[in-house]
Parts: sequence; C-alpha cells; structure tokens
Amino acid sequence: MSENYKFDTLSLHAGHIPDKETGSRAVPIYQTTSYVFNSTEEAASLYNMEVGGHLYTRISNPTVAALEQRLAALEGGASALACSSGMAAMHLVVSAICSSGDHIVASSKMYGANINLLQHTMPRFGVNTDFVNPNDPEAIKSAIKPNTKLVFGEVIGNPGLDIMDVPEIAKICNSKNIPLVLDATFNTPYLMQPFKHGANIIVHSLTKWLGGHGIAIGGAIVNGGNFDWGDKDKFPTISGPHFALGGISFWEEFGPSALIAKIRAEGMYNFGPSLSPTNAFHLMQGIETLPLRMKKHIENTHSILDFLVNHEMVEWVKHPDLETHPDHEVAKRILPKGSGSIVVFGIKGGREAGKAFIESVQLASHLANVGDAKTLLIHPGSTTHSHLSSEAMKEGGLTDDMIRLSVGLEDINDITKDFERGFKAVKKLNK
Amino acid sequence: MIINFKGAKTYLGTGGKSLDINKRTLCFLHGSGQNHLSFIQQARFFAYKGYSVIVPDMPAHGFSDGNPCKSIKENAEWINDLLVKLNLKDVVVIGHSQGCLVALELNRILKNSLEALIFVAGSNEIPVNQFLLDLSKENPQKASQMMVTWGHGIDGDMSINKWPGHSHYGEGNNIMCMNKPKALNCDLNSCNDYSDGIYAAKNIKVPALAVLARNDQMTPLKSGLKFVELIENCETHILDCGHFLPSERPMELNSIINSFLSKLK
Ligand SMILES: Cc1ncc(COP(=O)(O)O)c(C=O)c1O
Repeated sequence: MSENYKFDTLSLHAGHIPDKETGSRAVPIYQTTSYVFNSTEEAASLYNMEVGGHLYTRISNPTVAALEQRLAALEGGASALACSSGMAAMHLVVSAICSSGDHIVASSKMYGANINLLQHTMPRFGVNTDFVNPNDPEAIKSAIKPNTKLVFGEVIGNPGLDIMDVPEIAKICNSKNIPLVLDATFNTPYLMQPFKHGANIIVHSLTKWLGGHGIAIGGAIVNGGNFDWGDKDKFPTISGPHFALGGISFWEEFGPSALIAKIRAEGMYNFGPSLSPTNAFHLMQGIETLPLRMKKHIENTHSILDFLVNHEMVEWVKHPDLETHPDHEVAKRILPKGSGSIVVFGIKGGREAGKAFIESVQLASHLANVGDAKTLLIHPGSTTHSHLSSEAMKEGGLTDDMIRLSVGLEDINDITKDFERGFKAVKKLNK
Repeated sequence: MIINFKGAKTYLGTGGKSLDINKRTLCFLHGSGQNHLSFIQQARFFAYKGYSVIVPDMPAHGFSDGNPCKSIKENAEWINDLLVKLNLKDVVVIGHSQGCLVALELNRILKNSLEALIFVAGSNEIPVNQFLLDLSKENPQKASQMMVTWGHGIDGDMSINKWPGHSHYGEGNNIMCMNKPKALNCDLNSCNDYSDGIYAAKNIKVPALAVLARNDQMTPLKSGLKFVELIENCETHILDCGHFLPSERPMELNSIINSFLSKLK
C-alpha cells in the first residue's frame, strides 16, 4: 500500500485521516482535559503504559498527537512530543537525560534563554555546562568529559547565524556514545533534516517558522530513535529503573522511543508543560504551508541580501548564504536550499542609527520574535541589550549597530521601499 | 531480562513483570528482522493481565548476541531449548510473520503439547523475492526500510498511530537497525527455504487462532486464508491494516487474543 509520500504531502496530511463518523477533513480540535474510560481495565492499561491512548491532556491529546505525528514524519523521527514552548521542549530534554553531577557541552552562540537555562538555572540543580564555539568540532570533542550526557547546539545560531557542522559533530558524539541534541528552529525540516546527518534529538520552537503566523507559542521534541541508551550507568534515567510503573526501563520496553516515553511519564506528568489543543491546531495550519512559505522566505531573503549588500548605508551584512560568512562552505553543504531567513546587518552610524532605522520603518514590525510570515525587526542595542555598553555588547558577540531582520513573505519591493524609508531617517540623523 | 543462553547474552522481554513459571506463559515470537519491540503493546498488556510473558530477542536480534539461526527449524529448536531451560510448561505461542513459521515447527517438535497457537499476519509459507534477499545481504539497512514501508498499511504512510506521537516508519526502521546486520538475511532465507508448512499446519491438534491483515503485502491475505484452511478449527479474524498488525491495531489484536485465551482451559 505504501506510497512513501513526499515532504509537501506529509506537511498537509501526516497525522490525520478523516474519521468515518464525521468525515472531518480538518484535524478536529479535541478541546478536552480528559477521556472517558470504557472499563477499569482500559484505564489501568493506559496508566501502566501497556498500550497507547489518551488519559489526560497534560500527558497527550488527539489534536496534539496529530501535530506530533506530523513532526515525526517530517523529520523522519521515531516519535515526537509537543509542549507549551520551545523552551519547555529544551528543558524537558535536559531534565530527562541529566541529573545532578552530569555535564553538558553546548554551543556558546545561542538564543539567550537556551544559554541562560544551561549557564544559570541548571547549575543550581548540579548540571554544569561548558560552552564552546559551535563551528569548532575539535573544541566540542575536547570539551567532552566522562560525565557528559549530551551535546547541544542550534543548527543555525540565534542571532549570530553560526552554522554547526552537524555531520562532523554527530560523528564525534557517536564515537563517544553521547546524544547530539539540536535546536532546529531556524532551519525547520524543510531546509534540513538533522537525523539524516546523524543527530539524535531535535528541539523545535514551533512558535517560529513551523507555526509561521505568530499566533501560537509551542515547542516540540523529535526523537530520532537512533541512539543506544543501553549503558545503564551512563543513562540511568532512560535505561535504568524508573521510579514508577513497576521500575520500568524505558529503553528495554520502548527501544527507539524510550526518550519520548520517559518524557511523557516524567516531564509531562510532573512538570506539565502541555500544549493546548487549540494551539496545536493553529500550529498544524501553519505546517500545512511550511514548504511554500520556506521557499518564499528564502527567495525574499536572497533578494534582501542583494539589496543590503549593495546599500550605501549598510556597514556590514551577515548571512550564511553570503560568501563572506565564515561558515558559508558548511552552509552550502548541509543547507543547500538556503540557510534560513534571518539576516543581521549593521547600519552606518552605530547605536543611534539603528534606533532611528527601527523607529522609521512602517511595514516591518518592531518586535521580539522571528519566523513570522510578516517581516520583523529588532535592534538589540536599543532594546534587549540597551543597558550594555558597546564594549560589553562586543564581548557577547553583538555590535550596537546590529539589526536582526526576520524576512517575511511580503512583496520584496514593498520591503525594500520600507527599508529605504528607514535609511532616509538614518541619513538625516547622520547629517 | 538478560540470561546467558547457549553461551550468548540473550534478552527476553517480560512485559515489565517478572517471570512466574506457575502462571500460563505467553511466548511471543517476532518476525524477520524484528525483535521484542514488535510486541511493545502486547508484552506489558498481557503481563499486566496476569500472564507470564516472554518475548525473546532471537540470537543477533535486539539486545541478544550470538549468531542468527539459519533455518526455521533451527529457530524452533532454539526456542524449544529456551522453554526447557526456563522450565516453562503451560505455554501459548504467539507468532508474528516469520514467528508463525517458527511456531509451526515448534509445535511439531513439542508434539502438540503447547496450550495453543496464535498466528498473527501468518501463513504456512513466506516466499521472499530474490531482490529483497540480495538487498538484505548487500544493504540490510535499505532492505529494512523497504520492508517497513511495504509492510505498513496507510497508517504508516500517513503517520497515523494509536500511540500518541509515534511514527510507524521511524520507529520500525530503528527497531530493525538494532539487530546485527547479518540477522535479516538469515531470517529472510529461513522463510524462503521453509517448505514444511502445509504438513505442520495440517497436524495442529491444539486450539488455534489466526489474526490476518487485509492489506498485508508481506504475507498476503490470500495466502493467510489458504493457511487457516489447512488447520482444523482455526478461529480467524481479519483486521483492516497492513502486516505490522501488533503496532497498527494493538487494541483490536489484544482484545481478540484476550478473548481467545479466556476460552482456553
Ligand atoms: C533558536 C530558538 N530556540 C528556542 C526558542 C524558544 O522558543 P519559545 O519562544 O517557543 O519558547 C527561540 C525563541 O526565540 C529561539 O529563537
């Protein structure tokens, strides 16, 4: 029967077939907290994880499950779990695998909250992280210690746009029997599927391009099913006995899906960052057009890069698809369709120029998000990092003239016209 | 649980409960290139229903070491020796696919002393085409992927799963990848070479149940229906799914098996 459906088809269909009773073509929103059991036996079998099914929406829900199964199909993973945000997904993974005394190797150039979680929060619970350059596989290799339980990074870093050489780093992790966990928010499975390059676990902020419309916060973990958790001393939380369910070993009983089973049985049970069914529906609506949107995001990004590179008011432009980017060769190899629609650039005139630009554009929205269908901008120097001196910003890899642009799907001429308005304001300022 | 059997590390799934030889034992036999994880949603289910459950990883499959058995007969002898070692007497054997052929041979060895036989997506013969036989030798990973995609019904393609968040393809591929590379080719050759099925099926004297799949491309329904005709009084059910019935229709399958078991003495 197999059709082996392709990516565009799976984006629309995976996870749902119309049911016989209602014929509903769209995925129904099961806006319910709980599910009536047909018998006490059925209830017990769900609680004991004897069979799959739904018992309480904090643990699973049919609408959320359709989203999870769509993501598993798009990434080519064994299983997936959707949760309330990208940060929740990240925390669920770290807390499922690591315990006090464990160590993580992570990229030093990541989204602020990813850094904060590992640098400030997890050490309070005895889990410490060494941060290394994401584009230096050798540095990653030498940072691995006997108690290292995972290597973490963003495929395309936010906001520096550093590219991880995923196949190289996966080889290192594989040889040390450590899972490679990647935040694949900026690439989405449309631009690159990390499991094909040897990664083991994917974390997504669905809030961004996957949802794509800036209307719902959500996150997901996709489990490659390609990691051997069998070392009970190293990964006792996955292969050793669990505190409930009769001391279950998730690895022995669920094999490739051990991690997701563990996270459902512990993370979702005890922390409870569940995704609302309505938001799961909204996110799935977004995924239906992911391939179309990503194509246009990339097309517009390449046009904007042309525009910015050649603009007299622009001091510098950074994007991995530009030959001037230090990771350009890696990007070409692992992200051949394009390396995302975030562009960072500096405006001549420093912090004040950035501020004037942001305040003068009309079409592009000034806000703290990325991956919307609409064009978004932020100037860290006058917002998130306004309390820092130019020198302090530089130390963090940022400059005070830097604008982060999330290229949207508008007509490209309207975007460039809008930017000209911003540059005009900067020119006035510089006079 | 892990035991040392015939000099090799051998894994037996027990559904999360310990083995109790005083209870009726359900012995699940996995199919070609599979392992105990084919029965994720059966092992715990029946262990928690009060049965003793064993789901052996055959040699070189899943967590078991050793060399893969080279024929259906060798597989059956291995299982027979295992049952003896574990001192299990009151045994119902449940085979899936190749596991059905092994069950047929085991019943012959045991001279109809099993309590019952349950065939899931089974037949008396499982011919394998030359292309897949060759591929399983040259590139077992590719062969596994093809089997996983052929084997599932539409639920595989559409990532529909009764188990929230799970993908039949992603999970199926990785389960097969856990085995030693040479296991699949040995399994497929064992199936292809097996020719005693008609005789074995005709001589079944114990209660028998068959659960077949309407859209089975590995052991087609037509072949399954011919098979059950050979068995005296085989209770037969057909479910609307592909070959991987234990994960495609876990609740329906469990419920059919459960009611069959409840009718046994
Ligand atoms: C790369 C990256 N990962 C994770 C997150 C966190 O996602 P969420 O806001 O859904 O928690 C973000 C948010 O900006 C991000 O950019």
